[in-house]
Amino acid sequence: MTVAPVWAAGVCAGLHAAGSRHVVYVPDNPLSHVLRILREDFPDVRTTLATREEEAFGIAAGLYLGGAKPTVMLQSSGLGNSLNALTSLLVPYKIPVLIVISMRGDAGEWNDAQVPMGRAVRPICDAIGIPHMTLDAGDAAERTIRLVAQTAFATRTPGACLLPRRITVPAPRAVEGRSPSDQ
Amino acid sequence: MHRLDATRQLIASIGDEPVVASLGHPAYDLYAAGDRPSNFYTWGSMGLASSIGLGLAMAQPDRRVFVLDGDGSLLMNLGSLATIGWVRPPNLVVIVWDNEEYGTTGGQQTATAHGADLEAAARAMGAARTATVRGEQAFCDAIATARLEPGPWVIVAKVSESAPAVKPPLDCVFIKQRFMAAIGQPEDATRGGRT
Repeated sequence: MTVAPVWAAGVCAGLHAAGSRHVVYVPDNPLSHVLRILREDFPDVRTTLATREEEAFGIAAGLYLGGAKPTVMLQSSGLGNSLNALTSLLVPYKIPVLIVISMRGDAGEWNDAQVPMGRAVRPICDAIGIPHMTLDAGDAAERTIRLVAQTAFATRTPGACLLPRRITVPAPRAVEGRSPSDQ
Repeated sequence: MHRLDATRQLIASIGDEPVVASLGHPAYDLYAAGDRPSNFYTWGSMGLASSIGLGLAMAQPDRRVFVLDGDGSLLMNLGSLATIGWVRPPNLVVIVWDNEEYGTTGGQQTATAHGADLEAAARAMGAARTATVRGEQAFCDAIATARLEPGPWVIVAKVSESAPAVKPPLDCVFIKQRFMAAIGQPEDATRGGRT
């Protein structure tokens, strides 16, 4: 049995407390904890897998138009796939979505190819007008997610919560000669 | 079959059901065929009309949701067909205006002019009901069936391009708020969102 990480349980409780009952996502490894807890403990939250992050934001926009409060979960690498949806649909139409971004390319990264977008996530959000908060501790997840979501839906602006690797990825044990596992 | 004529036929037959239109000519023709509060005109996000329609169909299972997509737009988001085939919302009707060209950008040919078959793609990805129609009668028959029988439907309508003379409202927030009010989900104007 896998023990639920505190941060992941907090993400689920926070989005649920903010009234979100739809999560549209493209998965990554840390987010698999969130998905498992949603499946086991939040049966009233419907999860929908998109083939690509931009598509996820399109589905989320339709959910909001239909009266729901949608969440989109993605890895930071997928923010690049999402830009046209964000800049020409969600932002100009003022369609709010809670955006949960599992970070790559920040402290603890082992894959060079993840670093450029990881470094660019915050400047991109600033440039296109998407407010963002970075989770600063695992046990703050419920409150941070809830605040980001409540602000997004109250101001009708997409809002992002960034989950840094130092919180979502357990410190790897140093084992000589072994390569780090995929994330 | 001209796209504008087909759009008029559609609007005349679906009451006040919501319609999501892809940017450019599909949206312009929807406006020309009859501006209605339950029209959602996109001004960007090329390719996402079917995704918006999918989310709307999930949130509003008691309404029949119509999407007016284009061949070029759907080719930009083919993964949407796989998601629609997986979620299988019975109340979603995706109409693909297939003129075999990028009509809004000057008439460059799309892949459907060279053998790409969007109905076959939709069927392969699990859409419950699909059709390719040519001519107004076949189109109207397909819509009449799609209104009554469970989908999701993907109807590829072969159409000829005609340059629209009018454009829908440009205010995105106006389009959204009018649309949400029309389908019974108004944004509260005084309280900063539905809480």
